[in-house]
Amino acid sequence: MGFVVYYFAGLLGASCAAAYFNQRSAFLLLFSLTLVSFVLGIVGGAGALRFVAIAAGVLAAAGAMSYAFREFLIMLAGDETAKELRTAPLTAAFGMFVIFTVAVMGIFAPIIAPHGEAEVISSAFAPPDESMLLGADQLGRDIFSRIIYGARNTVALALVGTTLAFILGAMAGLLAATKGGIFDQVMGRVVDVIMSIPSLIFALLMLSIFGGSLAAPSTSFWLLFGFGSLVGLLFLASAAEGTMGLLIGIACVIGGALAFAFAGTTIFDASEVILVLVVGIIYSPRVFRLTRAVAGNVVVMDYIEAAKLRGEKNWYLIRREILPNSTAPLVAEYGLEFCFVFLLIAGLSFLGLGIQPPTADWGSMVRENATLISFGEITPLIPAAAIALLTVAVNFVVDWMLHRSSGLKE
Amino acid sequence: MGDIARLVGQRLGLGLIILLVISAIIFFMVEALPGDIAQAVLGQGATEDNLAALRKEMGLDKPAIVRYFAWLGDALRLDFGNSIVTKTPVTEVIGERFSHTLFLASYAAVIAVPISIMLGVLVALLRNSIFDRVANVVTLTFISSPEFFLGYILILYFAVKWGMFPAIASLSEGMTFLELLHRTFLPALTLVLVVMAHMMRMTRAAIINLLASPYIEMARLKGAPPWKVIVRHALPNAWAPIINVVALNLAYLITGVVLVEVVFVYPGIGQALVDAVSKRDFPVVQASCLIFAATYILLNLAADVGAILTNPRLRHPK
Repeated sequence: MGFVVYYFAGLLGASCAAAYFNQRSAFLLLFSLTLVSFVLGIVGGAGALRFVAIAAGVLAAAGAMSYAFREFLIMLAGDETAKELRTAPLTAAFGMFVIFTVAVMGIFAPIIAPHGEAEVISSAFAPPDESMLLGADQLGRDIFSRIIYGARNTVALALVGTTLAFILGAMAGLLAATKGGIFDQVMGRVVDVIMSIPSLIFALLMLSIFGGSLAAPSTSFWLLFGFGSLVGLLFLASAAEGTMGLLIGIACVIGGALAFAFAGTTIFDASEVILVLVVGIIYSPRVFRLTRAVAGNVVVMDYIEAAKLRGEKNWYLIRREILPNSTAPLVAEYGLEFCFVFLLIAGLSFLGLGIQPPTADWGSMVRENATLISFGEITPLIPAAAIALLTVAVNFVVDWMLHRSSGLKE
Repeated sequence: MGDIARLVGQRLGLGLIILLVISAIIFFMVEALPGDIAQAVLGQGATEDNLAALRKEMGLDKPAIVRYFAWLGDALRLDFGNSIVTKTPVTEVIGERFSHTLFLASYAAVIAVPISIMLGVLVALLRNSIFDRVANVVTLTFISSPEFFLGYILILYFAVKWGMFPAIASLSEGMTFLELLHRTFLPALTLVLVVMAHMMRMTRAAIINLLASPYIEMARLKGAPPWKVIVRHALPNAWAPIINVVALNLAYLITGVVLVEVVFVYPGIGQALVDAVSKRDFPVVQASCLIFAATYILLNLAADVGAILTNPRLRHPK
């Protein structure tokens, strides 16, 4: 009973203080929370109020953390960056903090994690004890360590997938904007078709053919080679001049694609390569459309005309004139694209078709430990919450960047 | 009116062409399989004789283009061949499941569409207030959460802790309609939460865009009361964006449903697709992909046509 009294006293006091100091929005928020709490308290009793109090506490802690983190970044950064950072809302600071934490977790995973990624240390679903913070999973591996390794695996694959989608989409988009004509038309129609298949369905279709646990190393090698040559040819189309240049270019493309495929298959295993390629191909049309639209606005500028009259070639135009003038929206798009790719990879892994065991991964961890939920345990939700948290964080930062770069008004 | 019919006909034709291209992609992608279907079915250890027999049985000895048109012709008559795993006709496997999926999606849509449009309009009218900002953060969180996260949270609280709804949405013969609604409430709610967030944001953006137009300013300046500005001036022009929002999000539902069906073990087509993918049951994969893609295109078409019907300006393209 005492808790309820303190709860309402605190809320009322805070809203009166907010009203007294003319903090209109804070007052509105606090007072509407008080009113909602009356109803909640009657329906759900003290438990519901305690839940609200804890949630508010967590929110306040996150707010304080983001504020401190923003100040910390401002201290560290140079004058120019510091000025920009001061304009960042708390949500963006929170996003940066989460991204920073996940990055540290991923990079230093072997040092942070108390146990190995696939190390079986106790019985299945053992409860938490002093050596295991969150207990054991369905095979007796430490869940906490696997979450930390998951940050590395899931995020790294999502980053690679986004980068592939970006290189392919941006290159084709830039070329379509500068060349125009037939190339533009054809690419536009291809993109229309790819975008009219729902992404998850398309991914499932491609994975059923090439991928999953049955992926053959040779398939993934040749697919990577094909992807490399495609990107190489796009480069070539914008950079090469004359027959001699074309021949040398083709040789370079083939060599580069082979090296790329070789590197790809040594770093990642076969199923991961295919997963990354599939998401890269599925999401490149979005990048293509955006790049083409952004670059299309730049191409009609007078300075491009001047450069063309100077006799500059396509490659110079793309590299020195168009790209620097379309960086801001492209960077923001990279962030958004990362969210989509990350969610798709997590979803596929959850379905058991993405990252294959024993590699730790947030999506598949949820599925593997889902039985615990029927016993009222919350542990399987932690990796899912991590996925949501990172996606929200990236979205917050992208929101701020879009706002800043375009002066987006609402 | 002839104009409208022609424009709508054009869109329909375009949709048909895209669907045709997609059916070709779906079919020929399986052809790109390392080895062929027979090899994939029988595995590495198959003898040449077995392979040849299976190829003959599946008609793989004919050229791919002939088989494509045969497959397409059959597909138009809703005959997708036999499943590789169960040997039963694919239509039997997914036919009933498709109706379950449609039921789940429409259940979610019936709840989500009115609520989210009302909330979206409300948030747009209250823009830049604290409620708007809170709604922005909340919807962004829902959009960013994977469907399975929301689904399992709902299971944890509504099914396990409070025991209000069943955690597994199994269907059985002879259920009453109310029972059906009760059983499928949690999966529907998961979909509602995700789609509502999308719809609210899109409605909000559309309405804000609209309220910034000069004729709204004009209406305000001439002293029309606020409700009249909304009902007389804003709403007739808002139908086009709202129809667009609804259709696009219903299309989004179609994909969201796959993950939700797996979480709640709901006997829908999404789960059939996932099972078929992991068992490499290509006829089922092809059929369900085609159905999903067709529904998706149909909804996008509906958005286009709706926009043409409600916006006279689109009827006279420059």
